[in-house]
Amino acid sequence: MKDSVAVRGTGHARSHGGASPRTWSPGRVAGGLVLTAWAALFWLLLLTGRDDLYLSTRTSWVVPVGAALLTAAAAGLIVSARVRSPRPIGSREAWVMGLMVVPVVMILALPPATLGSFSASKRPGFSSAGFSGTPDGGSGPLTLVDVAGAQYSKAGEQTLARRAGEQVDFIGIVTRFADTPAGEFLLTRYIVTCCVADATTAQVRVVNVPPGKFQANDWVEVKGQIYPLGKQVIVNATSVEAVTRPARPYLTP
Amino acid sequence: MVDVAPSQPARNATVRTAALILAVLALAAGLLRILEPGRIAWIQAFLIVFGSLVVQAMPFVLLGALASAAIEVFVPVNALERLAGLPRPLQLPAAALAGVAFPICECGSVPVARRLAARGLTPSAAVTFMLAAPVLNPVVIASTFVAYRARSSLWTMVIGRFALGMLVAMVVGWVLGSRSKDEVLRPRSDEAHAVPVEPAPPEARWRRFFLHMGNDFLFMGRYLLVGAAAAAMVQTFLPASFVSKVAGTPVLDIGVMMGLATVLSLCSESDAFVAASFVQFGPAAQLAFLVSGPMIDLKLGALYAGTFRRGFLPMLVVTVFATTLVGAMWVMVVAG
Repeated sequence: MKDSVAVRGTGHARSHGGASPRTWSPGRVAGGLVLTAWAALFWLLLLTGRDDLYLSTRTSWVVPVGAALLTAAAAGLIVSARVRSPRPIGSREAWVMGLMVVPVVMILALPPATLGSFSASKRPGFSSAGFSGTPDGGSGPLTLVDVAGAQYSKAGEQTLARRAGEQVDFIGIVTRFADTPAGEFLLTRYIVTCCVADATTAQVRVVNVPPGKFQANDWVEVKGQIYPLGKQVIVNATSVEAVTRPARPYLTP
Repeated sequence: MVDVAPSQPARNATVRTAALILAVLALAAGLLRILEPGRIAWIQAFLIVFGSLVVQAMPFVLLGALASAAIEVFVPVNALERLAGLPRPLQLPAAALAGVAFPICECGSVPVARRLAARGLTPSAAVTFMLAAPVLNPVVIASTFVAYRARSSLWTMVIGRFALGMLVAMVVGWVLGSRSKDEVLRPRSDEAHAVPVEPAPPEARWRRFFLHMGNDFLFMGRYLLVGAAAAAMVQTFLPASFVSKVAGTPVLDIGVMMGLATVLSLCSESDAFVAASFVQFGPAAQLAFLVSGPMIDLKLGALYAGTFRRGFLPMLVVTVFATTLVGAMWVMVVAG
């Protein structure tokens, strides 16, 4: 075992009733390192707030719980890695373990990003519990979740129609298609229930926009009056300003 | 990661192998940083969806591995053998209802089911549990309720999902019949060899616990990554609107929604919100999406392929789709 990754124990190895001394098991150490890499990823997601780029507020608990569990599992595996008869780890198995760390490297190496306008046409529109928070036609400021939910039920449409002309204040990304007029864009915000894989869209058509000022994927804040027209909702903008990406880029229903 | 003799002599990893792996990982990090593939829209969408799937699912795989290891180390063999001794008409409903008490998504239930079967529970009951748990657990039922609470189809969806999910899981168990674990489970190197690494004295329980946990996590984790990558690729390019063309075509719409659930690979705790967004489809098609999705999807397909023998997956796909289709058609007749 001239260059095996198995490391023979030194004076710390304890004998057990005359049995052979414990030495590091390469397999368990490697497994522990894979778990450690994943634990590190979860801690970093938690500490940097990047968990909001992948999960909704409903499921963000997965990250601290995952970080704690992965850490405990990694520690347990490494602490238990000194065995009496370690076997060498196969080369193929070692590479597979290395591949399991690739997503960790990928997430950590890439700059933080959110779904952009490319995905807007691939995702279904949001539809949920109807017109949340305003069952009788309403009060309180309208949100994009309210608007999107109302677009998919007759009662929601009617409720939203009663609020035509009200002032709204929405933040989202600029989405344009080939046939979008220069003075308009679609304001898109993704609604995530569990993780980004289940993202649905909330969209309103924004009119009265300065042509050429905003590009696809720009984050903007739109203020104006809302005019629901059946399943389409139009916002006549009185103000459109570029903003930085919100700390929580995805909405939760 | 196993401490058992490999079935065939294979090249062992050396310090050089470890160094090479670390170098490749470092190179990958550097290239990702320099090339910034996220500048290309579809690559960015793929990476985000893939990242979100693994970030969400990996802790559940670990939870499943922990539960699986606990079953292996702490549950006496005769406890499961007693369950296996129940008459089969009782075994399958009991296994399905056990899923109610297991609030974990589909990725976590696979290693648990595998361990249950390996430890003496009949494979039919273990698979019934595996399929039922992600559909019947209270978190999933609650999320279905929330997603449909403003719809007239609320109770059709909530009760239908519970009842049809349980039925489909039991039918799969019934089709498996009395097959033994050797006929159902794919052999794994850490379980295929009777000779333990450390024959005497036996390892302490906590050491065995972590060994089994690590083996299960690494085994399931790699398949999860493959499945998540496939699901993310499909999600990146498949426009959800394309399925709208068949909405309203009886039977075909049910089949299309089951196909969509398969490729989207959503978590069972969130899929009701996506199903509810397909308002062009009737309750029967949406119900089929909610029942078949947590049992058959791309990421699960990879997990199943690593866990079960070759014939299992086709049998599972045919049985789940056929039973769900028939069940959903009944719902269409009864609920309109």
